[in-house]
Amino acid sequence: MVCLIILIAFYLVGIFGPVIAGMFGISPYTFDPNAISDLGGKPVADFGGITLAHPLGVEWGTGRDILAQLLFGLRISLIIATTATLITVTIGVLIGIIAGYAGGITDTLLGRLMDLILAFPFLLIVLALSPVLIQRLTDLGVPEGNVSRVLYLILVMSVFGWPYLARIVRGQVLSLREREFVEAAVSMGAGRRRILFTEILPNLWAPILVYATLTLPSYIGFEAALSFLGVSVGEPDKTFGKMLADSVTYFNVVPTYLFIPGTVLVILVVSFNLFGDSLRDALDPKGGH
Amino acid sequence: MYYVYYLLKPGYPAELEEPGMNGMDKGWSRVLALGAVAALALSACGGSTATAGPKSGGTVYLLTQADQFDQVDPQRAYTGEDLAFFSATIYRSLEAYTYSPDNPTASKLTPDLATDLGTPTDGAKTWAFTLRDGVTFQDGSSITCADIKYGVSRTFATSIINQGPTYAIAYLDIPSVDGYIKDAAGAAKKSSSSAYGGPYSSTLGLFSDQTLKTAIPNDTAAYDKAVTCSTDGKTITFHLKQAVADFNYTVTLGFSPVPKAADTGESYGVAKPPVASGPYMVQSYATGKGGKMILVRNPKWSQASDSYHHPYPDQWEVDFGIDAKVIDQRLIQSTGNDQFALQYGGMQPENLATVFTSPTAVNPQFAGRANSSYDIYDRYLWINVVKVPNLQIRQAMAVALDRSALRKNAGGDFYGDYADGSIKPNIGADYAPTGMWTTLLGQAIPDTGDPAYAKTLITKSGVAAPTLTYNYPDTPVNGKAAAIVQASLQLAGFTVKLAPLPSGTYYSTVFDPTKAGEFGMGGWGPDWPNASTVIPPLFTQEGGWDLSQVDDAAFNTEVKAAQVETDRAKQSTLWQALNVETMKNVWVIPTFFPLAQGMMGSKLATGTGPTGGLYRWGPYGSNPYGDMLVKP
Repeated sequence: MVCLIILIAFYLVGIFGPVIAGMFGISPYTFDPNAISDLGGKPVADFGGITLAHPLGVEWGTGRDILAQLLFGLRISLIIATTATLITVTIGVLIGIIAGYAGGITDTLLGRLMDLILAFPFLLIVLALSPVLIQRLTDLGVPEGNVSRVLYLILVMSVFGWPYLARIVRGQVLSLREREFVEAAVSMGAGRRRILFTEILPNLWAPILVYATLTLPSYIGFEAALSFLGVSVGEPDKTFGKMLADSVTYFNVVPTYLFIPGTVLVILVVSFNLFGDSLRDALDPKGGH
Repeated sequence: MYYVYYLLKPGYPAELEEPGMNGMDKGWSRVLALGAVAALALSACGGSTATAGPKSGGTVYLLTQADQFDQVDPQRAYTGEDLAFFSATIYRSLEAYTYSPDNPTASKLTPDLATDLGTPTDGAKTWAFTLRDGVTFQDGSSITCADIKYGVSRTFATSIINQGPTYAIAYLDIPSVDGYIKDAAGAAKKSSSSAYGGPYSSTLGLFSDQTLKTAIPNDTAAYDKAVTCSTDGKTITFHLKQAVADFNYTVTLGFSPVPKAADTGESYGVAKPPVASGPYMVQSYATGKGGKMILVRNPKWSQASDSYHHPYPDQWEVDFGIDAKVIDQRLIQSTGNDQFALQYGGMQPENLATVFTSPTAVNPQFAGRANSSYDIYDRYLWINVVKVPNLQIRQAMAVALDRSALRKNAGGDFYGDYADGSIKPNIGADYAPTGMWTTLLGQAIPDTGDPAYAKTLITKSGVAAPTLTYNYPDTPVNGKAAAIVQASLQLAGFTVKLAPLPSGTYYSTVFDPTKAGEFGMGGWGPDWPNASTVIPPLFTQEGGWDLSQVDDAAFNTEVKAAQVETDRAKQSTLWQALNVETMKNVWVIPTFFPLAQGMMGSKLATGTGPTGGLYRWGPYGSNPYGDMLVKP
């Protein structure tokens, strides 16, 4: 319950980020030259420049507000992770159900497809081909800049994420297929589509929901990792991963640059995970799998 | 030299990295040699350890962020730091610069392979250099005029030996030929090149007509006439197209000897160690993270044949692929082998406050080990004048730019001073204030920029504020700087799109007008202390580093007049006037004259530095590699 409240709070903050930043009078795009010193660009106040005007400090060298960057970055991270989760779930469920129910050649082929995708050296592809593929997206008509980058991240995570859910769903469907109510529906002459969507799917919601709430935080963490490795939105926008990547440079001198976004990220991911766990406990009284 | 960006990549083109050319000082090198011998002799006679002279021995480690040297080929190396390192270790050339912490002294030439500073005749259109006795390659074979002639000829094979200095092509008296080449679409395009195309092919890469069937033959006879050897092989004579009063400076760049038998063209120096003529030779070279280049003493080099080099360390080890922040940390801690380490690039901004108490004062804890002073580079934003042809729009861009925020982002006071042109004060007589930020733009412009005035300039221009794409090498600091550029120009009404490019291919991309944006980051350092190596490269098509794509015929004529002027004082006034003209036209927005900070380990010292401390070597704005020694 507590986690649910925290999560809802995060989403609200994500949606209303700019408004909240306006209320504080901060912005991730305005530079504050007075908050940083002339000798090297270091923030004047302690702990990375924490003052009343800048509650969580300022960025080294530019004076941009950290809290504002977190608010705006949270929004981008949530957009990417939520969209990717939705797409993953949709594709994963569809293919899982089809593979599980159809059996035979279809199942075999789809299973091999899943194996192929799972075996792909995902990280290498993403890192090595990102400039090329983003350029392809732009050529296809997606607006240049952050839109194509965000779309690229979403697509990449969805394309490589659905096999996990598909396998789980397929397993569930295989066991459900043999149940009496399905046999009854078949003997009554129900069409395949009716069976899939009216008989089997409703029984899958529990594991799907649990999986979704566990996947979302992994996508947030994943996006942070990719941003850290350089595949991210461009300046002047920032995401958690980019802030963490930049903080490494200054770790010896200003450790709060690492701890503040890191703590927020940890709270977000842990909340999702705990929520997913409690959801699983609630929906699966026999103890999950 | 261009400015390299992973910090600053040296090179004359910036990896984004001394005045007083007093003609020839023949007696200078002999004085230096005598002085060095005397000092060593005196120090050898017992006495106090405090004044003990430089002792031989030890290994010096060079910590580098890059995965490899840009180029190891003597005709292709153009990175300032690399040139300084190679000239101190493996490659000798006819002339070299002096090791001294005093800039004007350091900028004086010292003969290396030559016996003196060269003999100009025919109004400086012909230059002759006589080789010293006893100079050999690492295999013991003598270095002759033919080896230097062969080395210089490689520069002409521009399709293979590229990215290096091209002064030989610009200055030697070899005609050009016109012809056709195949363009990207496969059609015939008019082009021209030198009639000599290098020692590898019997034809030029140029075709005689539009059918692209007959290649124009390589005119080796023309080269043989331009560079001649005396019958005893000890005097080399260069015949130039025009008078070049400072040609003896030119021969420090890309004029090292290469034995023809050992030349492997494109892979020279990479597949196998290059043939060394200096006091060290390459034992091994492995690139990438964890890679090293190890230099050991060249057994065939003798001090008797060399009054220039005084190689104290027994061995040099260049360590590649180390993260820049880690290099700083290792040198600050200075334990183990890091006590004998030197950093190839500069220090990272976040560590400056630890080591320096002010831009000119070192924290006493690091006394003698760190140095902050002007390097040779300037920084600017080039504006593609073909894509932004309207002068008032370019002026508005310069006016709107918040240079103060850029400076703070780059390190504030540690970073350097505001620039007012592409010629830096430490070049010497060629510099004079241009008045760029006081009068040239119509009124005084504050360091933070003046968006209101920029808006009026845009209105005056008669065209709408265009959308501009800004190129920069993709590093975190440059990214923040780009955000500052974008924000400050947008206040004036411009729309700025950011287009970062990978650092390694930055320059090759922005030289392509189809791929470059409207403006972007640039940096340059003079190849020697004469603005003839700044203005022509940056602002003429022939010069080779014209990122602004300027091609103004009247300006080119004025540049030519300055290049052939043999009266040095008069030449300085001409360069100053040309500098002002480039600023009036806002072909580039001058941003900064940077300071560079460097550090070395606690057990290293220099031979001539103040109390043996680290200094920045004026000619290349580099470490004083030839002056390094391990403390006894």
